[in-house]
Amino acid sequence: MDPNAIINMYNVNFYYGQSRALTDITMSIKKKNVTALIGPSGCGKSTFLRLLNRMNDLIDGTRVEGEILFEGKNIYASDIDPVEIRRKIGMVFQKPNPFPKTIYNNIAYGPKLTGADNNDLDTLVERSLRQAVLWDEVKDILNKSAMNLSGGQQQRLCIARALAMKPDILLMDEPTSALDPISTAKIEELIEELKKDYTIIIVTHNMQQAARISDETAFFYLGNLVEYNKTEKIFTNPDVKHTEDYITGRFG
Amino acid sequence: MKWRYFKQTVFFGIVRLSSLIIVLALGGILFYIVINGVGVINWDFIAKPPTDSMTKGGIMPAILGTLYLTSGAIAVGLPLGIVSAIYLTEYAKQGRIIRIIKVGINCLAGVPSVVFGLFGLGFFVVLMKFGSSILAGSLTLGFLILPTIIGAAEEALKSVPQTFREASLSLGVSKWQTTLRIVLPNAMPGILTGSILGIGRAAGETAPIMFTAATFFTAKLPSSIFDEVMALPYHIYVLATAGTNIEATRPIQYGTVLVLVAVVLGIDLSAIIIRGYMRKNKRW
Repeated sequence: MDPNAIINMYNVNFYYGQSRALTDITMSIKKKNVTALIGPSGCGKSTFLRLLNRMNDLIDGTRVEGEILFEGKNIYASDIDPVEIRRKIGMVFQKPNPFPKTIYNNIAYGPKLTGADNNDLDTLVERSLRQAVLWDEVKDILNKSAMNLSGGQQQRLCIARALAMKPDILLMDEPTSALDPISTAKIEELIEELKKDYTIIIVTHNMQQAARISDETAFFYLGNLVEYNKTEKIFTNPDVKHTEDYITGRFG
Repeated sequence: MKWRYFKQTVFFGIVRLSSLIIVLALGGILFYIVINGVGVINWDFIAKPPTDSMTKGGIMPAILGTLYLTSGAIAVGLPLGIVSAIYLTEYAKQGRIIRIIKVGINCLAGVPSVVFGLFGLGFFVVLMKFGSSILAGSLTLGFLILPTIIGAAEEALKSVPQTFREASLSLGVSKWQTTLRIVLPNAMPGILTGSILGIGRAAGETAPIMFTAATFFTAKLPSSIFDEVMALPYHIYVLATAGTNIEATRPIQYGTVLVLVAVVLGIDLSAIIIRGYMRKNKRW
């Protein structure tokens, strides 16, 4: 077991009812790294991501085989509460999904309900918004509805909201696919910054984005992990022909 | 070409005519009630009890009774309906049993109101020994409007975007807290508007309260929920069929009908206003 790994998974299979969405995945994810998951639509990368914070539990008829160890513990063990797992493994979704609440309450929502000290909420909100590089834009409108923010600001708000829970890992499911290029660039800079403190796993359809921001890249195809390597290696000299074909746009 | 155009004109004509008939029928009824009823409406009619075998005086106890019964029905039906809908949409595993329960609820909505009345009589009045009372009537009316409220609440809960639930759960907030803090507040406008229509129905029903709460005449106002009350729909029924002086009470009958229609329309109107206001503030 790699001492730098935060997640180790062994022979993981995942099923929606009868159909298998992920086949025999074994991989480990390094701490305080950005790991990009790439592959054509329907290849299982989002399923894979949602496996890690047990969001797939919400779908009826799903089933997991194998072991996913987070800090040495199997997160699918029967004595593990998925709610606890999600506090440590945060998530940012494809479309910005702030709550129809004020900016302040969007951030404070999670910590308040999971028993954070109320006296420190102000500090926590500011800290989280600063980390998401949104503070300067919203510090005067904290009591305005988050729905008034632009798409890019909303997405950074969602990142701040996840960070307020002080997670160890941040899962991002195509966080920039609904955003314009400038907002995308801001989020990418932010990811650079965040990886000092957090482990980031990001699904992306954008090859350049994966190449720009990630340290490791995993290529999924039809539910299989085809290749998993240093990003530089994947994009310059992949081991598998299939990976090269996908990256160079010959299929996908 | 001309034939096709002709067919279109005919069909549009039929559609327009149908809508016109509905509007005219409603307008006609309202107009008739208003011109016949407005004459007796004055402050005494609203604020005084009936006198002289109900041929004179007002209908205040009936207005008050309907208010009590309707509030009671809300107090019974709304919480029960919302909780049931939360179970059905958020918690229950969708499958055969849930489908059967939903069919059951729909059947309940189709049960004639007099059957609810008899159920109320048998269960609340006799078996539970509540007697003919505000309590028994409220419970009966509450059950009568339960299917409407469950239906409205289910629709409203389903219309809350799944992304809100996911966002909350992904923060490590429990399902119960997510339902309470995110799903329910966002569904509330829809639940209220849908429910108010059911409440309007509760205010206007005669059969369910006939055996469970309403009394022919009482000059004194109820002092507890175990007292009988007069109620607008039942008062109309009594005046029109069982009074000693049916002809002499004719104007009062129209006046009472007008008040009842105004109360029900008022409740419906408030639903429309609330809905408009909530929609303005809804931004997803």
